[in-house]
Amino acid sequence: MNAKSMVTILAVTYGFLGILPLFLGDSSIYMRILTMILIWSVVASCWDLIMGYAGIFSFGQVAFYVIGAYSSAILSVSLNVTPIVSIFMAGTITAIIGVIIGLPCLKLAGPYIALVTFAFQLALEPFLKGPLGKAIGSGGSRGIISVPPIHIFGMDFSSSELVPYFYLTLVLTLICSAVIVVILKSHWGTAFLALKDSEDFAASLGVSAFKYKLLVFAVTSFITGLFGALYVHYVGILSTRMLSMEVFTVLLIMIVVGGIGQYPGVVLGAVVTVTMNELLRPMGIYRLLIMGGMVVVIVLLLPDGVTGLIRKFSVFRMTKKRTEQLKHRNETHESSP
Amino acid sequence: MLKAINITKKFGALAAVDDLSFEVEEGQVFGIAGPNGAGKSTLYNLITGFYKYEGKIEFDGQNITGLPTHKIARLGISRTFQIPQIFESLTVEESVNLGGRFGSSGKYDSGYCDEMISFASLEQERSDKTDLLNLLGKKRLMIAAAMATKPKILMVDEPMAGLNALEIKQMTNLIKKINQDLNITVIIIEHFMKVLTELANPILVIENGSEICTGTPEEITSNPEVIACYLGDTHDA
Repeated sequence: MNAKSMVTILAVTYGFLGILPLFLGDSSIYMRILTMILIWSVVASCWDLIMGYAGIFSFGQVAFYVIGAYSSAILSVSLNVTPIVSIFMAGTITAIIGVIIGLPCLKLAGPYIALVTFAFQLALEPFLKGPLGKAIGSGGSRGIISVPPIHIFGMDFSSSELVPYFYLTLVLTLICSAVIVVILKSHWGTAFLALKDSEDFAASLGVSAFKYKLLVFAVTSFITGLFGALYVHYVGILSTRMLSMEVFTVLLIMIVVGGIGQYPGVVLGAVVTVTMNELLRPMGIYRLLIMGGMVVVIVLLLPDGVTGLIRKFSVFRMTKKRTEQLKHRNETHESSP
Repeated sequence: MLKAINITKKFGALAAVDDLSFEVEEGQVFGIAGPNGAGKSTLYNLITGFYKYEGKIEFDGQNITGLPTHKIARLGISRTFQIPQIFESLTVEESVNLGGRFGSSGKYDSGYCDEMISFASLEQERSDKTDLLNLLGKKRLMIAAAMATKPKILMVDEPMAGLNALEIKQMTNLIKKINQDLNITVIIIEHFMKVLTELANPILVIENGSEICTGTPEEITSNPEVIACYLGDTHDA
């Protein structure tokens, strides 16, 4: 997808979400859904960037999100760092951990990277609950309570101030989305795709797999950690429940619905998935079953997600144009002596 | 220009390349032949830094042993692959530009990349996704992307494999043009002896990772050991 189409889809989607508080600002339920759509759309976008574009099957996205949340919570609660500073420090800490996790992954292929990164997520919960976690201020099984809200320009941004918090999240979402588009359309993005398609050929053309794979780990971990941090100052409490399989699964569903490697399809996937997830809450235990069924249907009918539909139309137009070009070329060849 | 000194690569007990030494001089089309499994492609992988090995390889007087592949590419050694490697997510133009941007030691030169697209006769397909190309197109693309790195040596691995007679002629002409018109040293692995003897001089023949002989096409095709282990009695070179 070209940059213009990406920006158009993002502008329409986030623009639409951006005006909804004018009508739904009084409803805390809808405002919470809108806010979570923004947060998850960025976290899922980062996962799509590393998995769908760079071809690295990292399953550590939820872990990076939680590390960002814990880092900012510990910094602000235990060390009294002001939240607007601590969220960026949390992003940096997560990026450093992302690079450390990425290093052994450079030597591994697809499914083994998934195993290593998922094992990292599994190991994170006992670490945070155990004595080591407590020593750094994780609060153990109890977690961290009374995480202060973000306070800037004399205003609090938290779950008690839903509309301001939504717009703060929207601003950061737009900045991070712009960063993702710039990366995808720069030579970094081309290098990611080349390494995904043929690492050997890319290396033989001068692309450093070491540099670009670590770069994608660093960038996606930073943004994911930043949004994890943003979230914790919104809800005010934190525990290892965030590391649940449900969070992981729902995030994965967003990417499948949007289309893997079809950015910004994942943003549309986040809108659909978060909305459905909330609307289906009254279904209780059947909620995830229905979501799973939805994934099966989408994988079978739209393997490239909702973006596949848009792409199908554009490919159809391109094929028609190309056929006409070839026809014209053949006619020119036939008529030439 | 390129000097391999006693290089050895073992996979467990098997020596895929065994104490091999040879030298490629500037401006040559240096041929490499040998039966399947002789170690030809492994040799390419050693030169281009895909595998670690014993021994030493020098390029332009510089020891390149142990350098990673992308750094060797930037020094001026570029290659294609026996099984066509393409970037399915990219267009022809993006693939060639990738070589120009990352593999060239100088500043990125989009004009030169455009020239390489035309040089490899891919002008019509420049905006196409690479998986739409036929086999010849994919081989041309690998060459164009490799050429975009402005190499001093281009290493092509079985460029004629799977091509028909007309396509072989076109590919042969392309390799001749690279060597003669662009003055680039070429190393070529090829099973099709008629093409290899037309293009290359000298030719190195290897078997089980070791050199059988190196010589002119005439010397190679009349060497009894080469005939016995590789060409057979009825070869048509």
